[in-house]
Amino acid sequence: MGNLLEIELKQETLTTSALSKDEQTFHSGAQAMMECLLAESVDTIFGYPGGAIMPTYDALYDYIDRINHILVRHEQGAGHAAQGFARVSGRTGVCLVTSGPGGTNLITPIADAIIDCTPLVCIVGQVKSNLLGTDAFQETDMIGVTTPVCKWNYQITDPNEVPEIMAKAFFIAKSGKPGPVVIDFTRDAQAAKMTKPFVYNKVEKMVSYNPRVVPKQEQIEKAAELINKAKRPYILFGHGVLIAEAVQELIDFVEKTDIPCASTLLGLSAMPNNHPNYMGWLGMHGMYAPNVMTDECDILIAVGMRFDDRVTGDSTKFAPQARIIHIEIDPSEVDKIKKAEAPVIGDAKEALKMLMPLVKKGDFTGWKNEFRKLDVKEYDKVTLRDLSQEGKIKMAEVVALLSDKTNGEACIVVDVGQHQMVTARYYQFKKANSFIASGGLGTMGFAIPASFGAKVGAPDREVVGIIGDGCFQMTIQELGTIAQSGLAVKMIILNNNFLGMVRQWQQLFYDNRYSFVELQNPDFITIARGFGIDGHTCSERENLSDSLDKMLDSKKAYLLEVIVEKEENVFPMVPAGTSVSEIRLE
Amino acid sequence: MTTYTICVFTENSIGLLNKITIIFTRRRINIESLTVSETERKGISRFTIVIKHEKREEVEKLVRQIRKIIEVLAVFGYLNEDIVYNEIALYKISTPLNGKSVDVETINKVYKAWVVYWGLDYVVIEKTGTETEIFDFFRYIKPHGIIEFVRSGRVAVGKTPQGLIEYLPEEITEWEYYL
Repeated sequence: MGNLLEIELKQETLTTSALSKDEQTFHSGAQAMMECLLAESVDTIFGYPGGAIMPTYDALYDYIDRINHILVRHEQGAGHAAQGFARVSGRTGVCLVTSGPGGTNLITPIADAIIDCTPLVCIVGQVKSNLLGTDAFQETDMIGVTTPVCKWNYQITDPNEVPEIMAKAFFIAKSGKPGPVVIDFTRDAQAAKMTKPFVYNKVEKMVSYNPRVVPKQEQIEKAAELINKAKRPYILFGHGVLIAEAVQELIDFVEKTDIPCASTLLGLSAMPNNHPNYMGWLGMHGMYAPNVMTDECDILIAVGMRFDDRVTGDSTKFAPQARIIHIEIDPSEVDKIKKAEAPVIGDAKEALKMLMPLVKKGDFTGWKNEFRKLDVKEYDKVTLRDLSQEGKIKMAEVVALLSDKTNGEACIVVDVGQHQMVTARYYQFKKANSFIASGGLGTMGFAIPASFGAKVGAPDREVVGIIGDGCFQMTIQELGTIAQSGLAVKMIILNNNFLGMVRQWQQLFYDNRYSFVELQNPDFITIARGFGIDGHTCSERENLSDSLDKMLDSKKAYLLEVIVEKEENVFPMVPAGTSVSEIRLE
Repeated sequence: MTTYTICVFTENSIGLLNKITIIFTRRRINIESLTVSETERKGISRFTIVIKHEKREEVEKLVRQIRKIIEVLAVFGYLNEDIVYNEIALYKISTPLNGKSVDVETINKVYKAWVVYWGLDYVVIEKTGTETEIFDFFRYIKPHGIIEFVRSGRVAVGKTPQGLIEYLPEEITEWEYYL
């Protein structure tokens, strides 16, 4: 027995000494992870350390000159910040969190990112692989938990897998229809050394996943034929135009064909608001003409949008007369809600480029004027009232004034609710990637972290978060992140002391039964000051302009709280589940 | 309700079954049967999933969403007439002393079933066939006393002259054969 043990020990020493020379040159899994980030030109990550991700944080310590890590206050903040970063910059957002609660706190941003097509790579620590499935401390089955809400996930249990899997992760997150990728990284794989040299090969194609970018010529020809025959064509564009960086192509296309166009909520800012062919945005609280005219067009050209129910209302009654051309990168979106006569599968940029030479120069002055006639109706009934400057300050006038003062060029990050819809209505966007909102999931608490994420992604731009008083309190702790990182993020709370959108529904559809929508709010300015962020409250109209100036002039982060009309409603409104023809102006 | 057979070709990796079935769960579609095995090519698995549905368009949407899973190589949806399909069933039948004897000839010739194991006072009969055939035989053999009965999921091949592999991405067709 003793003899056997001796041999075993000897062998072990032998193996170690034989390898020790090489081992020094081989990376640990955690170091390899850092090298992968550098290879993908990642210079910023958002994260929060913890037990199961400690080897990776230890490796990060050697890379702090090359990778800027922003320490958030809650993992949800890391996720939304990465989303804000990705949306404004077009790059992939990266989060680094620990196992168990670290990972589960990230679920909301992951679910938000999949529905709003935001490229994220989320690196989540995991317990040692020998403890998997044993209910170990801070163990959550992240693969199981994230499968329904992510584009791809993978558990790394061997450091040698790191380069290949990370190359796949970045490719999958950014290509095709972008989305979140979750990498579940066991603690032993982070700590152990690779047994071969680190080699990173970027992935540009996978056998099982190879999204079509360039559409088929016959699909383009069919679409062009329909467009050229159209008497009342109408373009609805969405987030896909921004993701594909097809902004110029869209403008060129619209200018050649003279087709009127409207945006979805997430497509906002893809086209400058003052463009003569831009008719506004449509959807539940969208503008009157863009909504109503979906019932009048003969050809509907959907570009990078997916006929969300907040756009269509009752989809069976949405544009039933129209023949639909659907330009979309994800084949599973085609015919999902609306049957497309001419689907074009591919990237919006490529599709518009290919369509350009095939479409005729057009003149739709008469057809466009029909939109403008309806605009007058909306202006009289809604806009005049919103901007009337009577009674308490209204949300609309704050946004309109901000729009003027920033010349429509700020990057606006909004939360979810009335203030979101009002901002979408009254901010006059002039630059692309300037409206960042949680559209599909409608995540309250999105704006504070997404604002500083956006500021990191676009440090030279003025980033203004417009946030409701309810939303603000969902991620209020991230004020600490803003203060610590010294990011000059501007925030406006439009405070009506209500969960305004729910209150509006309760007023209109639930017989004024205000069920748990009134908030007793804290003193937001004192809280901000406690975090080291300056701010002030504005409750009088005559101070509003100066207040906005003060906020915009600040070289540091600033919080402006505006006390607005308590029970204001957002119109127009298409009640949920009805058709756009039932749109209400009051 | 129409029966659809969905054949999914995937890379053989951990957790894929969950990724596929979760799409059925989300769309509230019940899986009638499910069979998974490796194909004639190494590293490629084949799922055969049988569902019943009223609307063809909904099945098409389901198929497209399954295709979206990163590791999925191809998905095919079939009606019964497009495929050759079968299931296998085992029947453990009680044959006590002095009991009614099992008519092996009828079992073989009429029902195309085979006794595959003789126990002391029971036999195990194996039958392949369609769901209907398996239940026809079930009714025939039932009076003997069924101790245990198990039925597999459906396996199916298309009636086209080519193999489904031909429709997979080109790189795959060059992969080595399983055997």
